[in-house]
Amino acid sequence: MHSELAPAPGSTTIDVALKIWRYDAETGEKELKRYEVEAPDWVTLLDVLDIIKDKHDGTLAYRKSCRMMICGSCGMRMDGAAVLACKTRMYDIAKSGHVPVISSMGNLPVIKDLVVDMDPFWGKIRRMKPWLDPGYEEPLEKERIVSQQQTNVIHKEALCIMCGCCVSECNSMESDPEFFGPAALAKGMRFVGDVRDQADVARLNDYNDEHGIWDCTRCYFCNERCPKGVDPRDAIAKLGAESIKQGVDQDWGAKHAKWFVTSAKTTGWLRETELVPKTQGVVSAIKETKFALALAKHGKVPPPIPPHVAARVGEARKLYHLVKAQGRDGALGIVQGEHALGRIEFSEQAGVKTSDPEMRPGVEPPHAEG
Amino acid sequence: MRRVAYFKGCLASLSAKELDSSTQALAPKVGLELVELETVTCCGAGDIHEAEPDYYLHLNARILAYAEAAGCDTLLTVCNVCTLNLRQANWQLKNDEDLRDRVSTNLKRVGVPPYSGNVEVRHLLWEIAEGEGYELLKQSAHKGLKGLKIAPFYGCQILRPSKILGFEDPDRPWSLERIIEACGGEAIDYPAKIKCCGFPIIQAREETALGELIQPIEQAKEAGADVIVTPCPLCHLSLDAWQSKLKKATGKDFAMPILHLSQLVGVAAGLEESELKFRRHVVPVTPVLEKLEV
Repeated sequence: MHSELAPAPGSTTIDVALKIWRYDAETGEKELKRYEVEAPDWVTLLDVLDIIKDKHDGTLAYRKSCRMMICGSCGMRMDGAAVLACKTRMYDIAKSGHVPVISSMGNLPVIKDLVVDMDPFWGKIRRMKPWLDPGYEEPLEKERIVSQQQTNVIHKEALCIMCGCCVSECNSMESDPEFFGPAALAKGMRFVGDVRDQADVARLNDYNDEHGIWDCTRCYFCNERCPKGVDPRDAIAKLGAESIKQGVDQDWGAKHAKWFVTSAKTTGWLRETELVPKTQGVVSAIKETKFALALAKHGKVPPPIPPHVAARVGEARKLYHLVKAQGRDGALGIVQGEHALGRIEFSEQAGVKTSDPEMRPGVEPPHAEG
Repeated sequence: MRRVAYFKGCLASLSAKELDSSTQALAPKVGLELVELETVTCCGAGDIHEAEPDYYLHLNARILAYAEAAGCDTLLTVCNVCTLNLRQANWQLKNDEDLRDRVSTNLKRVGVPPYSGNVEVRHLLWEIAEGEGYELLKQSAHKGLKGLKIAPFYGCQILRPSKILGFEDPDRPWSLERIIEACGGEAIDYPAKIKCCGFPIIQAREETALGELIQPIEQAKEAGADVIVTPCPLCHLSLDAWQSKLKKATGKDFAMPILHLSQLVGVAAGLEESELKFRRHVVPVTPVLEKLEV
């Protein structure tokens, strides 16, 4: 009897080699193990894992379900980058002779091999109250019609399949494990931006938590990794814009952002030296005096007087008032340019030394507690 | 000589003047004639994008419009954050005619020339990593960087999101390594070279930021680097100026010198101290210069 993954008569096969980080949380043992299989030329990474498990090593652990990029189960890393295994075709990689390193996603505890504990992920999703709060208990008599234009504001956020690929490489979460993270915040924007939801201000206050919106370091790994085009960093920017629009703007991050607006419309350029007191307040800025003086010795604290003023800055000021009057503030002002996934494929630069795949972020052996 | 509009941005105008002076001195050696734009403003650094996104789009459109009005098809940047903000706005404006019409109409109403979408925003790194700029760089870098182990640090917003930056594979970048090798230096490989320096949140969330900042410095040190080079003045500021805070927080004194890209290439091309302005660095650059016997 033919295995499901055996090549169909007449089709060609390829030799695929992988190195997989095997790990057992119970014993703490880890090993980078190499596998080589013959597979049909159309295989995905998930298919190759299935062949390995079926024919070579039944102890290999990974998650899967739909095999068609909609269930979000098979998130894992290839050469340090989070991917959906079912979306990753192996033909070009195998033909190039490259042997990719497969490991579990980052920022989540590893249970076994490529299986991570998603509980912290779901905890953060739940923390966002991911359900509609329409502001009434009894259903209305008439249905509530939402226009296409209103839906467009959260179109991308609604694409999320909660696979965790964005969380895997989140640089803020590596440093602050309590950071809500890109998936949860995108889910939050899904509801803040929903015209039927009546809990916006309460949500924004909640999302302005110490580990919330303003803890994002804008590394853009989430936009890069998302296999569905959610662009979580853009969702976080939308939450920031909505917070400021709704007056939820007392976080240092919000004050920092607002100072750039003030700078642009007064002098045109960032009023750098005033940024710290305007962000942190005078008391905190005074505590930083010693640090600031050390920088001042090297010209890193430019004197605010005379200010560095752009020529014709009046135009920037007028532009501010003109644009404000047009009412496209808040999330409505974030233009995303395409509706789903925009991606450029890169080929290896001939003759140029690129980094060692085993040296890339996240390829290090998994840690017991993630 | 190719005429390009030069957008130096906030930092190179003020706290990172050494970036401006070294870029200005290097430009003619790599075939670039810089046309400085007097009327432009800050790109918003991602902060205006987050606070007032529609204003962000218009401010950046205004910068692009003045570059176009100066008769240039390229707007040269020397900062990752300027690069992303300007390219993102440009990408939105180029891909959406209705949006471009609305923004251009608004620009005209306040006296700014309209923007027709014919400017490309390119970082200095890209100009000298390939093509004519690269060939001229190889000729100019006569003094070389022999014996120097250099850790390239890309920073985030020159790599990601790649659909907007698009110059090189964000997971396997090569441009800095190519330039280092063309100057005769040795490029050091380490995982955090494509990660975040923490700068965007260094004031609002210092602890989180320092947890990010330590990674490239510690890894570069362990890999034996003499110096880190970066194409971004914001990365430079956190890597250089905040090292003292890392020392305070962790007790580790890395004493890792940090160079702007234009300074590293500038050293190889024999620029003067008056152009390189190393005295403006917080972590002394002296050990690097001694190793090179400059």
